[in-house]
Formats: sequence, structure tokens, C-alpha cells
Amino acid sequence: MGLKPATNPDVEAATIELTIDGKTVTAKDGVSLYDVISMTGKIIPAMCYHYTFDPFGSCGMCLVMQEGKKAPVRSCTAKATAGMIIRTEGDDLFLARKKAVEKHLSVHPLDCPVCDADGHCELQDMAFEHGVTNLANAKQKFIPEDTRSPVLDFNMNRCIACAECINVCKDVLMIDALQFMKKGGFNQVVPKGDVALDCEFCGDCLAVCPVGAITNKFSKYLYKPWQMKKTTTTCNYCGDGCQLYLETKDEEVIRVTSPLSWKNKWGDRSETAKGHGGLCVRGRFGFEYLDGKTRLRNPLVREHNQLVEKPWIETMQTLVDRFTAITHRHGADAIAGLITARCTNEELYLFQKLMRTVFGTNHLDSSARYGHMNFVHASKHAVGLGRTHNDWEDLTKAKAVLVIGSNLTETNPLTAMRIKEAIRVYKAQVVTLDSAVTNMAKLASHPLLINPGTEGAVIDGLVKTAIDQDLVDEESVKKHPRAFDALKAAVGTLSLEQISAHTGLSSETFKEIVALFAESPRSIILCAEGIVRRTNGYQNVLKLIDLAWITGKLDRPGCGVSTVTEEPNEQGAVDMGVAPEFLPGQARFDDAAARDRFAKAWDAPLPQAGTGSHLVDILNRCRSGQIKALYILGENPLGTLPASLEVRTALEHVELLVVQDPFLTQTGRQAHFVLPACTYAEKDGTFTNLEGRVLRVRQAMDPLGDSLPDWHIMTALANAMGAHWEYQSVNDIQAEILKLVPGYYNLGQPRKIVPTPDHYLSDGYAAEVGARYRASEGHDQTRPFSLQMGQVLMHSGKMSTEAPGLIKIAPNTGKLHMNIRDMEQLGVQEGVKVCLASERGSLQLGVQPDQSVAPGTCFFPEHFNEPPVKDLMTVSIDPVTGVPAFKQCWVSIERA
Amino acid sequence: MNVGALTKKVLQAALFYEIWDAMKVTFQHMFHRPITFQYPREQRTIPDAHRGALGLLRYDDGHERCVGCDLCEAACPSRCIKVISAEDPSRPLQRYATEFYIDITKCVFCGYCVEACPVNALAMTKMYEFSTHDKRTLLFDKKRLYDIGERHLDDAKKYLYAHNQEKNVEESREYRYYFPQSVLKSTQSPPKHLS
Repeated sequence: MGLKPATNPDVEAATIELTIDGKTVTAKDGVSLYDVISMTGKIIPAMCYHYTFDPFGSCGMCLVMQEGKKAPVRSCTAKATAGMIIRTEGDDLFLARKKAVEKHLSVHPLDCPVCDADGHCELQDMAFEHGVTNLANAKQKFIPEDTRSPVLDFNMNRCIACAECINVCKDVLMIDALQFMKKGGFNQVVPKGDVALDCEFCGDCLAVCPVGAITNKFSKYLYKPWQMKKTTTTCNYCGDGCQLYLETKDEEVIRVTSPLSWKNKWGDRSETAKGHGGLCVRGRFGFEYLDGKTRLRNPLVREHNQLVEKPWIETMQTLVDRFTAITHRHGADAIAGLITARCTNEELYLFQKLMRTVFGTNHLDSSARYGHMNFVHASKHAVGLGRTHNDWEDLTKAKAVLVIGSNLTETNPLTAMRIKEAIRVYKAQVVTLDSAVTNMAKLASHPLLINPGTEGAVIDGLVKTAIDQDLVDEESVKKHPRAFDALKAAVGTLSLEQISAHTGLSSETFKEIVALFAESPRSIILCAEGIVRRTNGYQNVLKLIDLAWITGKLDRPGCGVSTVTEEPNEQGAVDMGVAPEFLPGQARFDDAAARDRFAKAWDAPLPQAGTGSHLVDILNRCRSGQIKALYILGENPLGTLPASLEVRTALEHVELLVVQDPFLTQTGRQAHFVLPACTYAEKDGTFTNLEGRVLRVRQAMDPLGDSLPDWHIMTALANAMGAHWEYQSVNDIQAEILKLVPGYYNLGQPRKIVPTPDHYLSDGYAAEVGARYRASEGHDQTRPFSLQMGQVLMHSGKMSTEAPGLIKIAPNTGKLHMNIRDMEQLGVQEGVKVCLASERGSLQLGVQPDQSVAPGTCFFPEHFNEPPVKDLMTVSIDPVTGVPAFKQCWVSIERA
Repeated sequence: MNVGALTKKVLQAALFYEIWDAMKVTFQHMFHRPITFQYPREQRTIPDAHRGALGLLRYDDGHERCVGCDLCEAACPSRCIKVISAEDPSRPLQRYATEFYIDITKCVFCGYCVEACPVNALAMTKMYEFSTHDKRTLLFDKKRLYDIGERHLDDAKKYLYAHNQEKNVEESREYRYYFPQSVLKSTQSPPKHLS
């Protein structure tokens, strides 16, 4: 570091003046000369430069003449100093650059016709631009290709040793999986230690490689860059909402490329605070399901206990007849619907409109109910803002980040990148509190391992320490003295010794964390699945808001309490009102004014206020026979929820089960009707990412087979049921949302809303806070291990298991991940079967050691149901939000 | 009308002058060599530079020349070429065309594809007779193109020579772009694992 001081809110570099091509230019002191020149709009060729990391200076192309020096200097590694006189053009410089290209070409295989980078290659462009037609003596490297990695091939014959791949991996991603090694007389890029590449496989090295030295195994030698259609769209794996280019040829998806590329190498480092444009392994290599063989291409109808392919028209006719019959016989309340948050905003909006106005029921829910709803409700209750408080820029520029219950690098890799940048560029202090050894903990300044299931107690301890050690912010607390007294009284009943013993953190550690958090100018709490998907999620988020409030980190700029979402549009599902308690725009369903407005706009009465049930209630009602028809759009409750919720019985009890999905899921196999839906690549629309940014999804190819976009199917269904919907395209739906939820499609950074807890703190806070802080009980000692189910980096939900590439990188091992020490204690080796028993039953499965699993815990990825570990989970349902928590339970492990 | 003109007219009528005058051309042609070409019984000699049906070529050792680089597809103004390529499983770091189609009904015989080809795998031949009863057979696939190339190998080579493509480098430099140096002319001998 050092060549490019990041202009951060705390440090401002001095301004200097220098002359470039006769013009006086002002710049920041200490910046690379190359940056200063490119800021003036002049482009000097450079092959090893990229703005996201520090200049390396190996290509020798960015030569400029500096007055007072005889030979040209490399502008990227030269520091801009006051009074420099620089010339960037001229025949001598052209010849010097041409010489540099010739030097690179003389050890290049010149196999352009074969190379995948042909037409997208900087060396080729440079050779053409400088008119290189003859080489004095060419040399061949004859290095065999390294094909050991499952996703990337390294052809070091083509490498120009620019080290962009190494630098991006080390400096930007902080993974450091590549290195130079001298082999066969040439400097080669090899995976660390010259073994098979084993990293996070984000593929950013591939994106920045200016030649064809790193090749994508998925599209190797298939097509040349100019043959593919490139569509800019939004990734639909997680809530980060990364922009990506889907490259298609006719009906096939060939590859995915990122905005991060050697082609856009010019930029200001401060821009990366909003994202560096890269992708993760899921986004870049998990595209194969889009045109996969397992996609549904025709509607399926159950006949004689078998699903048979039928044409659309016939399917819709019988389906509508069945729906009408059920509404006639049992009333509107007998219909319920579930939708996945992988659908676009327009489809989510249409879904709730369909359920509420056409079917007339308020039994509807989305997959935001699996956890994000806890955060939304808590935050809306406390500060009136139903989404995360901070955007990526805040995270990047934070001085202290408290990451609690989040394996961020696995669930949301690109949000994790923001924290990595905060650590690297802005020198942020990061505290990780988790019961697993997360990758983030390896980079954090305060990596803290807590006892499993004690996240809530940790927050108790933090709040108590803040009050006891007087680390509170006087200004915030004085505004609401009564609320603060109530909080003090509530926390007063707790004992820090007990909390320390329970959580495994000493009281000194608590002090250190709270002091760090309270004294930083910009502090952010980031809570995720370890909080919102666990027992007491709602209360724990409120406790975190308490902590932020008393330390004065709630309403200051750059501070707040944030979360991340697992599915791309969980925020959109809440915003579009796909929940029994919300109307679009997060208006309360029982708010009379909002009800009037929507009833008038939709020209139909809304279901009675006070009716409606969420996910778990819907399943209960199915079981009790109150709900007769269930319309499931992309959801897979049978594959997701544990056996104790008796999903299978619920589904068997309904008279009509309609599943609309791109794949035949476990739930789909039980259905009476399966309607083939499109993936995000085949439709237009928008996603709302975890920051609240609304991002475009664009159609990249025609729908596969007879599948149709979800909005299309829903419109057809509504019209067949007697409604008069006149949506011809997604634009029509957007126009309607624009009218009803003004300002939603800002398509840019969402408006900053300052969280205001005043109403919450002055009204009723004292009454509710008493019940919030209670000493937690220990667990049953006969089950000593904590079984945790969670996401792994390569997968997202069940959808990624349809992508063969991701399965190749991270297959289902069917083994329980354990800490090596626990395995030694139990006397088991890798692959040996153990008996895993919980309250809910037991099963036998093999074990494998995993460095990221802490002693006393074991882990199984939630994406796989083979063996059905999820069925061992106990479920607790949050009394306020109805969120089922089923990702952690206590088990005993014995050698089988 | 005067007397002279009238006499001439009478005389011409009596001697059938118009008929003789018209027959003059006919009689003249009786003693000429016929110019009409009796196609298809007779075949014309075709110049080497003639742009006829396209064919794919092999090296002398039988290997396919085509590396599936898709440049012909990019160069084609009528978009009649489609190439699908893959890695050559038998030779490391090599690429070949798994499928190669030329829709000869769309082809405008401009020869750009031949010029674009970096390895001279495509050439035009003197073959121009491909009329058929079934239009579908006019979509030439890889096998058919190699057949044409094999059958008309001499013509194809002559074509490439006539278009300055297989002349020595110096002579043709003005005419077409060359990669800076041939891959084969390395200063090192290949190591053991590649030879």
C-alpha cells in the first residue's frame, strides 16, 4: 500500500500540481502517476495495471518521459510529485512501448486462433495497435497446461506475467491462492504450493487476466467472445444483487462474465466502496442450471397417481375448474399461497394481488419468513425502517464492524468483500462473534469464538457491559431517560459472570468489544443467519438495536444495525407485501387508509383485516383441513422444513396442490399440477437487493420448452378466474407498482433514511424491555454437541444443486462436518459412521474433519437432504413474527 | 421520287437484292469456327483464381488444418458459416471444429472466409456444379466439405497460391496480415513430453 492513499472520511491527502503534456493538472499527493494521467482522460496502454489494487509494474507499457530523466519511466509505479513535467506522447515513446510488446510476444505461443481470449485480449490489441509484424527471435515455453482445478485451466504459455491474477486474489479478495513460481526457466503463476487450485473459486483472476492464460473450463474452446450475446442482469443466488453479464448463444448459456475485467481497468479506488464488480463462485460458475436437462419444459398433471405431460390450455382449464370448485365449496379462506423470494418484484406483487383480489384470501407468505422477517419486524418496530440500515458504502467505510452470527464469506461473499476492504483500506476493526471458525474470523482483528446457541446471551452481555462500564452515549440516552432507566433495570437482573460462563467470553473481552464499538466514529452491527434464523431472533435483533441506541450508533451517519439476505429478493418480497401482515410498500394490512387505497386501485375488496396466516400457520391449517388448495410458487417446503413440522401430512391433506417451478422439486412430486416456470434468465423484472437497491433483471434467452414467466402464468390464471388483468409485459406491472408505491424504482442507491427510534423509545418501550433480558438456561447435557445447519459458499438453497458445475466443486459428501479434536475424542476417523441423535430421532452417517467447525459443534450443509439431517432438527416458532427456527439443535454423537 | 431511284428499286426487286443482302451474314458464318460452347459436353478451362465451392483441407499427414477459430464465421458477409468447436482430446492445447456448416445457398462466393483463415484450412475450388433436386443437401457439413477439399486438393492449392496465401511470407506480406512469427519456427526444440 502507499501508492494510492484511499481518500477516506478521516484522511485527506495534500493537493499538488504537475504538468502533463503542457497542461497543469492538480492531483492528490502520493498517488500513482498513471492514475493522474488517466484522470485527465488520456489513456496510456498498460497491461499489468488495474485500479482495484496497487500498481505492479511488470508489463513496461505505461512509459512516459519525465523532464530531467534520460530514459522513459513507468508511470504506474512512479509517484506523482509536485512540479513534475511529463510527456505522454511521441515517436520515441511509441517505439519504446512497441519494444515492450515485442518482448512479450517473443515468448508468446501466438496461438490466437485457438485461444479463448482471441478478440478479448490486451496483448493482441497492443500488437495490433503498435503494428508488430515481425519478431527477431521467438521462443516457445512448452509448458504443459495445468488442468488440475475443477473450474480453471492455467495455460502458462500464454502468460505475460502481469500478476493481475495474483494481485487481485491477494489484495482485493484477501484469499491469496496464487503465486509466482520459477519452473522450466519461466516465471509461472501456480496455485499456492503448486498443488491443485483449492480456493473460493470466485474466478476474479479469470476476469482480470488480460490474455488467455487462465481459461474457464466451462466454456473452454466453445465459442469466441464475439459470437455470444451479452446480457447485463442481476445474479439470483444471494441478496448481494451483483451485476453480471450472461453470455448466451441461441438457447444455451455459455458463460458468465463480470463487470470486473481487465477491460475496465481505469477507475478511482473510492468507487470500489460500492463494490468492485467481481462475482463469487455461484454467480460465475453456477449458471448451468439455466438450460439444464432437469428443467421442466411442459406442464404436468397428476393422473392415476402419476404426473403426465399435458398441453398448457388443457392444464389451465382443469386447474381453473378445480380452483373455482374449491372456492365455491369451501370459500376463499380455503386457498393459500407460498412464493419464493427468487422471483422478481413484479411477480411478487402480482402474486399477492392474485391471492388477495382474485382468490380473496390473505393466507400468503414468502421465503423471507425463514429469517429476514425477524429483522424486518424488529427494525420496523424500533426505528420504522423495514430494511437494513446500512449500504455497502457504509460497510466499507466503517471503523468498527461487529459481525455476529454470520458466516458472511459463505452466505454473501460480495458483502464480505466490503468488510475485507474496510479492513484493508480503511483499517477497520472487525469483531466476529460466532460458534464457527469463519473465514471472516481469520481476517478480523477480534476473532471470538462463542459457545453454540449463545448469541442472545452475548448481546445481553454487550448491553450490560455498555451500561456497567458507562460506555453509553450521553446524548442519545438523555433524550429518553425513562427508556434508559427501564433498560438499566432490565439488564440489572443479569449477572455478567453467568453470561461469561455461558457464552465462553470473559468480562474483559466484553469490555474490549463494547469499548471498541462505542468509541469508533462509525460502527456497524451486522447480524445474519446466526441471529435471525435462530430461536428468539426477533428479540435478539431488538437487543442489538438497544445496544446501538445506547452507544449512540443508531442514528449517526455510517452507523446502524444491518443484516444480509440469503435469497436475492427477500427484501422485495417484504416490500411487495407478500406476507399476511403487509400490503405493498410495507403498509400494514390492517391499516384502514392503506386498505382503502389498494382496494380502490385494484378495484376489488381486500380480505378481512385480521385474517391471514403465515408459513407455519398455513401448514397447520392444511393439516387441519381448513386450507384445501395450496399454490406454491418456487418454494419447496418439503425439502426445506424438518420432519417435525409434518409438511408431508399437510401436503397430503390438501385437495389441490399446485407447484410452479423451473424444476421438479420434492414438493413438486407431491403436486396435482406442476406448472413449468422460467428462470431469471428468461424474464424481465427487478430484484431488490439487501441494501434496498432495485436492480434490473433482463431477459437473456427465450423460455425453454413450453415454460413461461411466472407473471405470465399468474396473469393467465387470474383472467381465467374472471379478473380483468391487462398486463402485456412486465412494464405494465411496473407502471402499476410505480403508482401504488411511489419512488420504489429509483434504480440506484436507495434513499438514506435516518433510523429514528424516538417513537419506539418514548411509547411502550419500558413495558416490553423487561421481558427481553432474561438469564438464559443451559441445555440438556446428555446431548453435548450442537448440530448446526447452514449455507456453504458453493451453494444457495436447493437451486444450486441443479447446477452440475457447483456440484462438481462441492458435492454432497453426505458426511457430518466435525472438528478434528472431537473426532479424536470419539475415536473416529474420516468416513467412519457415527450415530447422530437428537430429540427428534437419530440417524447414522459418516464424519469428515472440517477446520471451520469449532469443538463441541458439528455442521451439515442445508442444501442436501441425503441423509435427511434436517429431520433431526427441532423447531421453535417465534411468537411475534412466526419465523420457524430450525437451524440449530442439540445432539449426541456416538460411534456407530 | 426521281427516275434514278425508281430504276434502282425495280432492279433490286427483280434481282431479290434484300434476300441476298440478308443471307450474306448467314453465308459468312458458314465459314467461321463456331463460338458457342457445348456445355455440359464441353468443359471450360477455369482460371486458378476462380471462386467456386468451398472445401476444407488437411495437412499432408492427414490432420485437419481447421482449428475452429471461428474467424471465417466472423468474416462471412452473408452469415452462411457456422462453426462449433471444442478442445482436441488427442492433442493438448489444440482446438478443432466439431461441426462446420456452410449454407452454400446463402454463400456469395466472396472468398473472405478463405482470406480470414489463419491456417489456410479453407479454400475455394473450381467446382461449381452442385445443382440438386433437394435444397437441403446444399447445407454443406464438415464431412462434405472435407470430401470436396480432398477431391479438389490440387485446385484448392492453386487457388490459395493464386490468392497469395501460400506464397512465401515476404511476397504476400503486402496482401494479408500475418501473425508475427510462425509458431513452428521456435529457437528451441520441443521438450520430451511434447515430442
